[in-house]
Amino acid sequence: MILYDFDYERPNTLQEATALLRQTEGKARLLAGGTDLLPNMRVQVLKPTMLISLGAITPRPPQAELDGSIRIDALTRLADLENSEFVRREIPMLAESAHVVGGNQIRQVATLGGNLCQETRCLYLNQEHDYQFTAPCYKRNGDCCYPFPGNKPGTCWSVYMSDTAPALIALSANVDIIGEAGVRTVPAETLFTGNSLEPLWLARTEIISSVVVPPIPTGFGWGYHKSTIRGGLEFAMANIAVALWLENDRKTCAGARIVVGAVSEGPLRALATEKSLVGQVLNADLLWKAADDASNEINPLPHHGFTRNYLNENIRVYLRRTLITAFERAYGMDA
Amino acid sequence: MSELKFVGKSFKRKDGPDKVTGRALYSEDVKLPGILIGRVLRSPHPHARIVSIDTSRAKALPGVKAVITVEDTKGIKHGFVETPRYPADQEVLARGKVVHVGEELAAVAAVDSFTAQQALELINVEYEILPGVFDPEKAMDPEAPKIHPSHPKIADKEPFSNIGGKTECGWGDVEKGFAESDYVREDRYESQLRTHGYLEPHVTLAHWESDKLNIWTSSMGTFVKRAKLAKTLDLPYSSVRIHKTYVGGTFGGKIDLYSHEYCAARLSILTGRPVRIVASREEIFSAYRHSQPLIVEVKTGVKNDGTIVAQQLRVINNAGAYRGSGVVVVFLAWGFTMAPYRCPNLKYEGYSVYTNYTVRAPQRGHGCPKVRFAIESQLDMIAEALGIDPITIRLRNARQPSEDLPNGDNVHNGNLPECIRVAAEKSDLLKKYGEARKSPQTGHIRRGIGIGVSAYFGGSLIYPNSSGVMVKMNDDGSAIVLTGAIDVGQGAETVICQIVAEELAIGMEDVKIISSDTDTTPQDIGAWVSGMTYITGNAARQAAGNARAKLIQVASEQMNAPVEDLWVEDKAVFNRQNPQQRMTYDQVFAASVATHRGDTIIGEGFWRTMRDVPTHPSLATTKGRWTENYAFSAQVAEVEVDIETGEAKLVKALTVHDCGFPVNPALVKGQVDGQVSMAMGHAFMEEVITRNGYTLNPNWLDYRMPTIHNMAASEDADVITEEYRVGEPYRTKEVGEGLVSGILAAMANAVYDATGVRLYTTPFSPERILSGLKKLEPSKTTGVRDQQSPEVL
Repeated sequence: MILYDFDYERPNTLQEATALLRQTEGKARLLAGGTDLLPNMRVQVLKPTMLISLGAITPRPPQAELDGSIRIDALTRLADLENSEFVRREIPMLAESAHVVGGNQIRQVATLGGNLCQETRCLYLNQEHDYQFTAPCYKRNGDCCYPFPGNKPGTCWSVYMSDTAPALIALSANVDIIGEAGVRTVPAETLFTGNSLEPLWLARTEIISSVVVPPIPTGFGWGYHKSTIRGGLEFAMANIAVALWLENDRKTCAGARIVVGAVSEGPLRALATEKSLVGQVLNADLLWKAADDASNEINPLPHHGFTRNYLNENIRVYLRRTLITAFERAYGMDA
Repeated sequence: MSELKFVGKSFKRKDGPDKVTGRALYSEDVKLPGILIGRVLRSPHPHARIVSIDTSRAKALPGVKAVITVEDTKGIKHGFVETPRYPADQEVLARGKVVHVGEELAAVAAVDSFTAQQALELINVEYEILPGVFDPEKAMDPEAPKIHPSHPKIADKEPFSNIGGKTECGWGDVEKGFAESDYVREDRYESQLRTHGYLEPHVTLAHWESDKLNIWTSSMGTFVKRAKLAKTLDLPYSSVRIHKTYVGGTFGGKIDLYSHEYCAARLSILTGRPVRIVASREEIFSAYRHSQPLIVEVKTGVKNDGTIVAQQLRVINNAGAYRGSGVVVVFLAWGFTMAPYRCPNLKYEGYSVYTNYTVRAPQRGHGCPKVRFAIESQLDMIAEALGIDPITIRLRNARQPSEDLPNGDNVHNGNLPECIRVAAEKSDLLKKYGEARKSPQTGHIRRGIGIGVSAYFGGSLIYPNSSGVMVKMNDDGSAIVLTGAIDVGQGAETVICQIVAEELAIGMEDVKIISSDTDTTPQDIGAWVSGMTYITGNAARQAAGNARAKLIQVASEQMNAPVEDLWVEDKAVFNRQNPQQRMTYDQVFAASVATHRGDTIIGEGFWRTMRDVPTHPSLATTKGRWTENYAFSAQVAEVEVDIETGEAKLVKALTVHDCGFPVNPALVKGQVDGQVSMAMGHAFMEEVITRNGYTLNPNWLDYRMPTIHNMAASEDADVITEEYRVGEPYRTKEVGEGLVSGILAAMANAVYDATGVRLYTTPFSPERILSGLKKLEPSKTTGVRDQQSPEVL
């Protein structure tokens, strides 16, 4: 139960919504699916003075642009994304990353934009504080950190757990953001500040309006994995999105993106490993080594009861498997 | 004797249509005018002295109708156990100090949730923080912070702190036994903190009206609730009525009195208005009762052929901040140790240790899974050391039918050897066992198989000890059954209907049940000592038989035929010598009223387990009879383990159980599958994560119970050892909670079979399995290429 009073508005356009955000000086929050916002209001991680429902705005269906990129309305339900034949055919990694979010009931209401804008999570943070952990932590504008008591003041190590964000970064996607000055477009990976107190470079008066996935290069292969304990209704232990694309010889790596999420303040890229793969003739030993290198590059935060040690191991193994899957797909073994 | 028409058949549940259509009324669905919302103020500290509580600001808040603290109570204590050795130990609200996070300090009743919340925030409590202790072995240290004084009988003899109780017993001479053994080993096993996972939260609605307290509460036994509420409120039982509601799951977690039940009642008495208190899921996780994590140390000595010669156990229960059912678990752990296998020399000691955790409750199996996990794991290790297979060593030691147990109980027709044989045969265990550990293996998945054995009691002597049932005939020949039995989802009402329908030869639709209402139904044991089908069922059988005898007597007079010649079928009494001669029940009923001075034909029945045994066994010494119904089982698990990540899952479960006689085979099957699923959660997923008495994952998201997608193929087979005959007492056995145990042990043994990793602590997390694999063969998980790589690579 949300035990405080707040206002509620239901604008008809995103422009009206941004106007409302400006009027409330950023103290309002946008309500799309609400699957992240409402539980956070219940446990008072968030205490907006107004909810601006986007329920009156119908998302446009995913569509191909003239340049071959694919535009997806940020209000697209995750269920619509995973069930869209178009998306499954053109950008299956995004469909897969939407499919593994929560459970079906969550995906029926949760939106892609909401999934990107979700709050960071921590066992201590995501519960009521009536009698447990009553002193507010840094994330609640207090002055302590329960899981990492030695943290420097203002340092919060809650983790950002979006399942779709790593896939979008691996796909080199951009996001369109509507703000006071109009629309700005930024690469999805630049959305993340690396600071869990304010995980997104997004002003409180801005709205992500759509996600644009650029044309998929030829010789492209992808691998995606979400590590969990029970395989559903769960946030990730770690999630991994890998994209490889090959030269015309179908052996030489033309480009690579290796992204690991749910283990840090934002998704992490293994940039050095990506770079080392480009120009190489790929084989199993090389991908095996790349997985080891990438897992050494990624420094996971221990979270939700998982140790850093185990997360490293889990990431290493699934990087191997996703890299091999991506290569198989790029090579054309996975028709 | 005619063929059985109702008993032994898989009839649909009586409560099914109500539940699937949403018509079933649960406690929160009961609406009364003028209802107030109750909330409970809880301790933010695991251990602290209460310097003062000031409720004046809360009382002054408009909309607040009452605020109570311990000063507003009679100070009458209650306890899960209330015996001379273990008297009631817990007040309904904290007095003087708080001993766990979430302990109840005060309660408010207000016009709405918002006001109730504000009122809680206005109560000012001043604390003096005391050091807490959370590890039971640390709590036993003489220098540890004292939560409560050690039990006087133990404090006299042993130096330990914080001992809430102890069970100590044995037979033979273990030292001699170990000396005579060819092989002795000693191991230590630990278990995690788990919760019950009932979907319906704790909900209580109380309404004090015309000097009567009416209660609707989610429970496992309305008569126990009545007794404890009446006692703590200092009211006669006749002034307290617990109404029937449907219950959304309990699994052991809704017996005993909970503080919020008292608070709702007291607040209603003070305000004269109905008061409802609903526990949030977070409160249930962080302040209510969970299961009991046990440390089990086992030393076992065997002959070269695997025959157990001696066994010594030391069990330590992290029992939480009050006695709860902690002292019962350390008694039961003895029973679950000694029941399946013969052991001529046994020494057992179990300590129930106070720690600054929430109070503990029974949970399905009540200690059994933890004990069987330990003993069955060790037995496999012994078998391997001796070069014996897992089946032979179990058959060598399994108790035989009719065997006397050292405590004076008898196994009767219980047939563990047959369970083991059938399980071995159906699973093909001996052929599969050890396959995964033979080299070379390819790929990263290893499959393993393991077996575990268990025994469970069916009914024991715990208040209210017995069940009464009344069967009232209606003048159209249908019947009303009055029973105190509570259907918590296990199907009690369906089973009782089947028995009454069978005994009276009427249809299932002719039997209507009025149940678990303390004012209108006879007293009942409740759904918490694994004896309802046996005890309430036999009472129902007797009550229906009693009504049948009256029907036959009246018909005999009317038909002018001897009683011995008459029998019943299709709602009629007929003459076996002349089947054409018959009277329908409505005719008999009319004749009874006309010729028996208005007798409307009411049958009465009552049943009690171990009818000639005066009382329950001693929790301290185990002396006395425990039960007359031992249910045995052998369970086989097949698991798959990813040896690169340590991720493991149950893929196949086989349960072979001796439940005596299945009154409703579909309900038995439901129990089996539910227990396999619950054990799977225990083995691989579930843990209430705590730090210094605080709960870190108080929600369904971060406390991971299995979903339907995790459920493995679950097969089962009955070893039928009993019969049901109309008109005669029958013996059904436990099938609702013992089967979480053997399968847990089987999963541990299967993980070993798959990987060579022996796990001593539940859950078998990927991290534990992987760390075990790394210790075995450091190169195996990091250096070996996956053999399934594509050819192109």
